[in-house]
Amino acid sequence: MEEVKALGIDVGSTTVKLTAVDAQGKLIWHHLEGADPRVEDQVDHFFNLMREHGFDGKELPMVATGYGRNLVEQAEKKVTEITCHATGVYNQLGHGGTLVDIGGQDSKVIIIGENSQVVDFAMNDKCAAGTGRFLENTAGRLRVPLDRMGVEALSAAEEVAISSTCTVFAESEIISMIAHGVEVNPILKGLHRSLILRIVAMIRSVGLVPPLMLSGGVVKNPAIREMITQELGEQVTMPEYPQLMGAYGAALIALKNSNRA
Amino acid sequence: MSVSATLKYMVNVNIIGKTALGWQRRRAEHSTFSSSKWRTDILSEPLRIGARTKELISLHYLAGRYANGHRPVAWVTSGGPVEILQALGYYVLYPENHGALCGARRAVVDISTEAENAGYSRDICSYARTDIGSVLSGKTPVGKLPKPDLLLACTNICQTVLHWYRVLADHFNVPLILIDTPFVYDEAPDHAIKFVRRQLEDSIPVSEQVAGKTLEYKKLQEVLQLSKDATELWLEIMGRGKQHPAPLSVFDQFIHMAPIVEMRGLKTTVDFYSQLLKELDERISKGIGALKKERKRLLWDNLPIWYRLRYLSEYLAERGIAVVASTYTNAWGELAPLINVDKPLDSMARTYLYPILNKGTKYKLNTMRRMVEDFDLNGVILHSDRSCKPYSIGQVDQRNRLIKEYNIPALLLEADHDDPRAYAEEQVASRLAAFMEMLED
Amino acid sequence: MELPAIPNRIETITAFKQNSGMIAAVLPIHYPRSLFRAFDVLPVEVWGPPGTDVSHGGAHLQPYVCSIVHNALSFLKKGGLDLADFIAVPHTCDSLQGFGSILLDFVKPKQSIFPLYLPRGNRPEDLRFLTEEFRQLYRHLSGLTGKKPSEEILLRCIRREEKADDLLRQLYEKRQKVSLSNYSFYHLVRTREYLPAETFISIAEKVLSRKGFDNPKGTAIILSGIVPEPMEVLTTITELGAAVVADDLACCGRRLYASGKSEQPFRRMAERILNAPPDPTRGNSLEERKQYLLRLADQTDARGVVFYDVKFCEPELFDLPRLRAKLKAAGLPSVQIEIDLNDPLSNQIVTRIGAFLEILG
Ligand code: SF4
Ligand code: SF4
Repeated sequence: MEEVKALGIDVGSTTVKLTAVDAQGKLIWHHLEGADPRVEDQVDHFFNLMREHGFDGKELPMVATGYGRNLVEQAEKKVTEITCHATGVYNQLGHGGTLVDIGGQDSKVIIIGENSQVVDFAMNDKCAAGTGRFLENTAGRLRVPLDRMGVEALSAAEEVAISSTCTVFAESEIISMIAHGVEVNPILKGLHRSLILRIVAMIRSVGLVPPLMLSGGVVKNPAIREMITQELGEQVTMPEYPQLMGAYGAALIALKNSNRA
Repeated sequence: MSVSATLKYMVNVNIIGKTALGWQRRRAEHSTFSSSKWRTDILSEPLRIGARTKELISLHYLAGRYANGHRPVAWVTSGGPVEILQALGYYVLYPENHGALCGARRAVVDISTEAENAGYSRDICSYARTDIGSVLSGKTPVGKLPKPDLLLACTNICQTVLHWYRVLADHFNVPLILIDTPFVYDEAPDHAIKFVRRQLEDSIPVSEQVAGKTLEYKKLQEVLQLSKDATELWLEIMGRGKQHPAPLSVFDQFIHMAPIVEMRGLKTTVDFYSQLLKELDERISKGIGALKKERKRLLWDNLPIWYRLRYLSEYLAERGIAVVASTYTNAWGELAPLINVDKPLDSMARTYLYPILNKGTKYKLNTMRRMVEDFDLNGVILHSDRSCKPYSIGQVDQRNRLIKEYNIPALLLEADHDDPRAYAEEQVASRLAAFMEMLED
Repeated sequence: MELPAIPNRIETITAFKQNSGMIAAVLPIHYPRSLFRAFDVLPVEVWGPPGTDVSHGGAHLQPYVCSIVHNALSFLKKGGLDLADFIAVPHTCDSLQGFGSILLDFVKPKQSIFPLYLPRGNRPEDLRFLTEEFRQLYRHLSGLTGKKPSEEILLRCIRREEKADDLLRQLYEKRQKVSLSNYSFYHLVRTREYLPAETFISIAEKVLSRKGFDNPKGTAIILSGIVPEPMEVLTTITELGAAVVADDLACCGRRLYASGKSEQPFRRMAERILNAPPDPTRGNSLEERKQYLLRLADQTDARGVVFYDVKFCEPELFDLPRLRAKLKAAGLPSVQIEIDLNDPLSNQIVTRIGAFLEILG
């Protein structure tokens, strides 16, 4: 293994990700697992893991990001997911543009400038309408497994319009559709559309700067990719590890800081 | 004002438009009614005046389309004092009416999204969002809206219009006349009436300057008289709802109220309402009601749900329920007695201070109770309109009092007047169903 | 550096009542403090308060009404205003209008209610109207208390408030140097919401007389909106490495009233309110707001604006898109954050502010 030079940790609400980079900023090791409410214990456990992989994390510069970033005592610096995502994606893909990150709790749109800097950003408002949670809750009603949702939605020739964007209202709308004998897949497609339109509104509110890039857990869903492209008429690109971009960006920032020091 | 614009206006509006629309109307009037969409099993044939309503509204928006350059254009809030502008020859556009039209034609989500994409919150009034969306994108179901040379916002319906018109003023960079009407908790004090009167006075030179004309006092009186006549007719028309069966429903009123809002002060409007009144009296003499079978009668409170008018009207009609009166349409009639042609500005100051939306929540409760009695009604539907706080705050208490103190069944229905995304079909249906059961007890 | 001891709301109210004074609970935003004081009534403001059990408000108000109004009603119903003898409701927005109206018509608390209409412009007729509105309030208070304070007493009360407001402005101007944290500064200036002017004056003078202060550290920002609640957001801003150097908050900076000119008391009270910094609820135009914010940024070297607004607050929401675009075009970036008075400071809010500061660099 190349020599690890810096670490990035992204403590999210559902998962925790750790990445390690070499002197060139290449992603050479990563680890992802479900979030433990005892963040300190989990970080300790991560350090043990690293030792098993033959390097001592405690000696390395580390930046933390994500909601739990302030709980990571070992991190020399805490940086928001916004900046970390921008840095991570920029380095992976080699260019700026508009990054859309759809997570379970949160969605964000980040405009990344030519030098990887954040130019502007938007996040979903308080309600769940613009996040992966919207799909999870509503699709739950339809008894479709999460990882099949996108494929099923795309297979539908028809699409029914879901007018409510409120999760609760949408659920009741779905119930009534099922009661009226509407098929599952067209409803699924309508649900995806509803989520995408919320995301597109966020993109428009900051102003789309091509190219369009996607990251976050939800982008594994093929319907999301395809429908964003339909709505905006822009092809989307994705980094190799869409879920790791926050942690990767954090590691890059740690690396840069240590070089400067 | 430009000669070519005037020529275009004359040709397109006065010659082609009037002829074509008049012809269309006559054809509609003379053909026997047949529509596969109309539920003739539960509803009487639509009012014949409908063809005329359509003609008037189409002509109004057609005139708007060619107005810029030919006539000064003002955008005005629905409760705004429009007589001075009419007397000066303005083409007057009501963005709220346009918003209602967009709602009825199901264009709101598309147009409002344009505003939302520009950063306007979904928590602001859907009329405002639709208007701003239309301004930003040019989208409208009526072809094209004229740009304003002047804006007039009157706070007698809400403070929201002030914020909305500030945005418009900034966008179009034209003067904004503000007529601020202090909220009347009980009686309007003297200093409030004077305050409104002075603002009306001060609005004259600004309106004159933009129009490039001087206001003729006689003309103002004429317009005011026409305004009063139309308003009185409208009040009488609504009063016909007291008949059993009621010859028109509030759903009819919602459609035929457009002229009283946006063409107040015009001769055609007075003629229009005389004709409608005549038709209603014919219906009454023949014992024809809006519903084939009227079993129960209700009052509607707050704005209509524009995108579900037909659904609601049919749902209720199927069950023999006629909605025959509303506090909303009543608002354009109840002030008629205050208009005094001999004291134009004084009476205007009072008239524009006293709309129901500028008065306390108790006043509205009393209005509802009075209407329930006058119209011999069995219950009240209070539409809780997410967009409209001045109309909606107080409804929770109003409903409770109606039920507990006056023994009048009442239902609070959560929705939005223009934005279907804030409307849950299933919830509405189940609440209505439960309410129907209450009415039968 | 620590603040001198400041009595809290309850202590202040109790002490004032012990001296046979009376209390008026006052809702946001503008009203004449001196007029109440002339009748020996202490105005104590009700901005929510945050974290109230809202079930009481829900019995009268729909969920789409802002949390300031919801909480105020819940607080009242739970007895939170029991110590008050009067409730004054300025007509600030559609929601407060409805609140005032249902208090008078349906909720009917034991206290007398004073609605107060604020004109939406700064034209000569607005001044005339507001002057009369205050005269009416005087008659109202007079009828209830049996007192008839003279013009001289009124003017004395006005001057005392003017002095307090002048010190408030000095605190703002010297805040760079009074070495107070973001939190302590707002803790101090927000005591103007309930302390009698004379008490505020003595505390402000103490703070202003301190010597040898440091400049605040961090990225300089302006805070705009209604209230900085929960107050811990100010601590968070400090932790994120920023300093609030100016504000356009309804409860603070928008009420930096300058002294009046007229020797006629009611008119002078009206002048003070109408000439306050721009406020959408008083009808200021977008241009006026933009100019004001740019000037603030210029004077304080602020690098960005955090618009920190209460959900459902249309006076704020309408202005934001164009206002933010204008500021951006003039080189002043901003971020928009929406809060509900009953929510704890969320991770998302911290992230948004943090990311905005990272952009400012
Ligand atoms: S808030 Fe109500 S009164 Fe005001 S414009 Fe909207 S719907 Fe009309
Ligand atoms: S927060 Fe906004 S809407 Fe609520 S009371 Fe204050 S000004 Fe009115």
